[in-house]
Amino acid sequence: MAQDAKKGAEEEEGGEFAEFMADISEEIAQRVASLEPEPQSKSKAEAKKTPVPPDPGVIVDWENIADRMIEEMR
Amino acid sequence: MSVVNYGTREITCKIVYYGPGRSGKTTNLQHVYSQLPEDRKGKMVSLATETDRTLFFDFLPLDLGTISGFATRFQLYTVPGQVYYAATRRLVLQGVDGVVFVADSQSRQLAENIESLQDLHANLAEEGLDPRTLPLVMQYNKRDLPATEISSVDELDETLNFRAVPYFPANAINGGGVFETLRSIASMVLGRLSAPAAKGS
Repeated sequence: MAQDAKKGAEEEEGGEFAEFMADISEEIAQRVASLEPEPQSKSKAEAKKTPVPPDPGVIVDWENIADRMIEEMR
Repeated sequence: MSVVNYGTREITCKIVYYGPGRSGKTTNLQHVYSQLPEDRKGKMVSLATETDRTLFFDFLPLDLGTISGFATRFQLYTVPGQVYYAATRRLVLQGVDGVVFVADSQSRQLAENIESLQDLHANLAEEGLDPRTLPLVMQYNKRDLPATEISSVDELDETLNFRAVPYFPANAINGGGVFETLRSIASMVLGRLSAPAAKGS
């Protein structure tokens, strides 16, 4: 009986911390969500990339255009 | 300042229990420590004199585990209340995120409470912290003593709580009001969490 009472008291004691943890966890979750840096939707390179036109004959890879021209002229 | 570190996924907050000597600061930490589950119990560092007075400070690291993907730690400190440990109090206040002011409810201790509160403000200012905006909660401890020996909560609040911050009657020796106080200051500190200013900080 005395052991049961002690166990109950211990559970109650642990409950105090558990309650604290529950409150704090919720608070932190909200705070972290509000501060989370927004993921970058596109990298700079992607953002600058020319959209691919439907015509496959058109050269769109502008970064390599000089190399290609030199290649064609050889 | 408390910061959410997205690089290391860590949140660390420093809370200091301040107040006059023998007001119950160490008792607050001891109660928190006694309630921790075994797997969360770190080491409570306490440097006391032969007469059990806090000599330097108490330190209780409170590892709350991973919350929302962040390793969360609260560091709880007390300061020595005695007037002559002013330098230690200033040291402990460095980098503080929130303060619990533990006032002794005994009527005869009112002057000591006021003196300690003034000392807190002076030390915060010296550390470049604004005592008017730093998260602060008041705890009026020793409410278990006979009514004839203690000031009323209203009287204490009127005298000490000019910022009108949250306050909690407590009898820390029995655990009363300890977690309510901690929850309140933790909530205030978390409310001021900020993302790091520099990349990777």
